[in-house]
Amino acid sequence: MKIKTLTFAIALSTLAFTVSAQAHDPKEHMKNAEKPDCSAMKNMDHSKMDHNKMDMDDPVMQAMMKQCMKNMHHDENSADESHDDHQKDRNDHDPKHQH
Amino acid sequence: MKVYIKSLVFTGMLILVGGGLFLYSGVYPIGADTRHNSLTYWLLETLREHSVARAASDLSIPSDLNNSNRLLSGGADYNDMCVSCHLKPGMSESDFTLGLYPTPPNLSETAAEHGHDHASRADHDGALKRQFWIIKHGIKASGMPAWGPGHDDERIWSMVAFLQRLPELSAAQYQILSARDNSIDE
Ligand code: HEC
Repeated sequence: MKIKTLTFAIALSTLAFTVSAQAHDPKEHMKNAEKPDCSAMKNMDHSKMDHNKMDMDDPVMQAMMKQCMKNMHHDENSADESHDDHQKDRNDHDPKHQH
Repeated sequence: MKVYIKSLVFTGMLILVGGGLFLYSGVYPIGADTRHNSLTYWLLETLREHSVARAASDLSIPSDLNNSNRLLSGGADYNDMCVSCHLKPGMSESDFTLGLYPTPPNLSETAAEHGHDHASRADHDGALKRQFWIIKHGIKASGMPAWGPGHDDERIWSMVAFLQRLPELSAAQYQILSARDNSIDE
């Protein structure tokens, strides 16, 4: 009987320990999360690369767009992401979304 | 025939005793700042590559490895967990790359640049499986941890996907892809 209780206690504490070490949510990494520096992307688009070279089929480009589109929506009220700028970007990119 | 067996037994004993003496004498330099001699290096490398290749051979690679969402998941995870050892664009060394032996390869460079000839696994699929397996299970007696306990296969495959593009990323591209702060709050 004693042994059973002991076994149970051990099993329970093992379980508790395992659960605490279980797969963690990406959210746990949020402590030192950075914001994407999307102004760098604007430089990539507007000065270095010309638009014909922007390959919207490239997953890297798509991923950057995803990061920065969201970012723009978040920062809509901040000064340098004014509405005009935003609108302009849209016009620049839209035709290329269409394939 | 008798003589033959006798000398075989004798040699066997000699090896055992010699090995035991070596083991207990303490002359083997275990410090990470003493490099392996070329025989030990070859032995360990051969052991590692064949072990990984065999263990990884029946993995199946997800078909959507090229998806941009994988780059975002893998990029953020890489930035959180791997940079200190495997570096990123614009970073050439860290305390870990200076001090760990075996030295963690710089994964922001292509295989050729970080000085391995990966000829033994020239085929692309083999390379993907190998990376997945190493990330999931780690490598004994090296600094490479197993990330399987704590991360599901999907997240590990996303890191593999990210690694395929990492060598060609600029520092600015890397920063955007790996920034965690808006990749998950949909
Ligand atoms: C504490 C340092 C450390 C950390 C953190 C680390 N690694 Fe490693 N990794 C190593 C070392 C050392 C090796 C080389 C092992 C060997 O040669 O036996 C290695 C090897 C590898 C390899 C095989 C490279 C090759 O082509 O030979 C891959 C892929 C890899 N690591 C991916 C990752 C990923 C992805 C992460 C983050 C999730 C990570 N590592 C985190 C130290 C580390």
